Amino acid sequence: MKGRGLLIYAVLYLIFLYAPIILLPLFAFNSSTIIAFPLEGFTFDWFVQLREVEALHDAVRNSLFIAVLTAVFSTILGICAARASTRYVFPAKAGIMGMIMLPLVLPEIIVAVSLLVVVVQILDFPLSAWTVIAAHTLICTPFCIAVLNSSFQNLDASLEEAAIDLGETRFSTFRLVTLPLVMPGVIASLLISFTISLDEFIIAFFLTGSEPTLPVYIWSLLRFPRMQPIIMALGTILVVLSIVLLIVAEYARRRGVAKAGKADTGGFL
Amino acid sequence: MTDPNRRQIISLRDVQKHYGSYHALRGITMDIAEGEFFSLLGPSGCGKTTLLRTIAGFEDVSSGHVLLDGRDMEGVPANKRPTNMVFQSYAIFPHLSVAQNVGFGLRKRSDLDKSAKSALIAEALGMVGLDGYGDRSAQALSGGQRQRVALARALILKPKVLLLDEPLSALDKKLREQMQTELRRLQRHVGITFILVTHDQEEALIMSDRIAVMFEGQIAQLASPQELYRRPVTQQVANFIGVMNFLPVEISMGQGGSIDLDIAGLGRTTIDSAQCPGAIRPGLGQAGLRPETMTLLVDGEDADGHLAEGQVEELAYYGDMTYYDVLLDGATVPVTISMKNLTGRQVLDRGARARVAWDPRALVVFAE
Repeated sequence: MKGRGLLIYAVLYLIFLYAPIILLPLFAFNSSTIIAFPLEGFTFDWFVQLREVEALHDAVRNSLFIAVLTAVFSTILGICAARASTRYVFPAKAGIMGMIMLPLVLPEIIVAVSLLVVVVQILDFPLSAWTVIAAHTLICTPFCIAVLNSSFQNLDASLEEAAIDLGETRFSTFRLVTLPLVMPGVIASLLISFTISLDEFIIAFFLTGSEPTLPVYIWSLLRFPRMQPIIMALGTILVVLSIVLLIVAEYARRRGVAKAGKADTGGFL
Repeated sequence: MTDPNRRQIISLRDVQKHYGSYHALRGITMDIAEGEFFSLLGPSGCGKTTLLRTIAGFEDVSSGHVLLDGRDMEGVPANKRPTNMVFQSYAIFPHLSVAQNVGFGLRKRSDLDKSAKSALIAEALGMVGLDGYGDRSAQALSGGQRQRVALARALILKPKVLLLDEPLSALDKKLREQMQTELRRLQRHVGITFILVTHDQEEALIMSDRIAVMFEGQIAQLASPQELYRRPVTQQVANFIGVMNFLPVEISMGQGGSIDLDIAGLGRTTIDSAQCPGAIRPGLGQAGLRPETMTLLVDGEDADGHLAEGQVEELAYYGDMTYYDVLLDGATVPVTISMKNLTGRQVLDRGARARVAWDPRALVVFAE
């Protein structure tokens, strides 16, 4: 039967996709230090131990700092680009927008290596959290533009004209009308860029200075088998956190679509 | 035409607008009086909306002058002009309540305290028949209610001119007709100059004191509704306002300013030169007649004056009216004749012979 074949395919696909992620919490709560079946017993030890690794805390702080600033910078840039691309006609618009969106498909390793060359060899900057923030902003901005574009497209241009007509300036119009109406998109953009920056590895690995980000730190832990269950516990927390953030982002986007009174044309997720 | 004692609130002087190589407004010059209900009428792309947006300050003029209440508006941005606009989409702020929408323009009025503002908002809502709607969410409103909120929001600032960009096009037919009368009444009540952009000739005729008919960035005719309907200055205007039949005519000059005509299907007649709006010269032309100025006679009926004969080619029965296409003997294209279906009046069949009574005073003649 054709339907059954497709169903089996779909189920296998989902298992392939999610089984590894389900293994994370499985081993995170397993009392054995060795990551292998059969499972031994249930424990919270690994989560407790997480609290005692000082270097890990530094890495988390470092990552959060980078992710928050990346989210803010790339969302601000995204707002400017999305507004420009939906409101104005200017020469070579399609070409410019295409180039801005290109980092979406550019291999990160290329971006990482070329940025390293630029920062260290040409600009002679010391590597630090700020170099990572700059690079993350570069790769996150296209995602922000994609999310914000739909918000700005759903915004009737005559709403801004109406506000100006009623005596507001361009700036107060942006504050009173534009921003509140695209706010759900802004929130979604902040959350998505925050998430991307938080778990980005390649660029952070190349550009981070003496203070590693969380993914870089986790990678360094893999050399110590003793630490592996702790990584599983940490991974579990990160998975839960990511899912929560993405749900909030999608909720914000849908609310925005409903607020603008438009039909949902499918979002970023 | 216009009362000379009335103050001109808007004066346009040779207003030109170019978009790159596209010439959107080609020298618009006109005056609009204080308290007038004025319509800009024309097909889409004729420049009527561009002209409205130029007055509002959303578009710059390429050359020429826009004067509002005697003051040149050059360099004055939209938020500093004494005009307010009702947008085609109404542009109701969806994140604000009805009262917040209506009171939006009062935000900058530091001379008013909170209670004075609420009183103004309540008054504006009452004016458009939305008493007690202030606390509702703007999203919960119907199309007609949004229209009213947009009106109240624009009128609360007591602008010198209210600009309306196709405000009724999004409403269904019944509601549109209701809003037409209501808008007209509201305009008389507030006494503010209204400038309405529309492509609907009927709407323009019903509502306006004067109408400017626009084609391709130029004003083809500026006149009162009656003048426009009875004496269109070009065939293009005649075709755009209502229905007009055109029959080929041979024009020759008569005595004492009169003009002799030989009209295909209608025969010979003499008219006054005032019935020829354009330059008239001997030769070929087109004679225009409105469908309702001709009468289809049924058996036993007779009429004084001019008669013509023909055959009913097609008819459309509308209940209150019947529209006949009659091919007059000696003509090549049928004319449309509208007849009221009065009690007892017979509706002719397709193919029937028809006698048509017509009046030379209703003729409008265009030289070719």
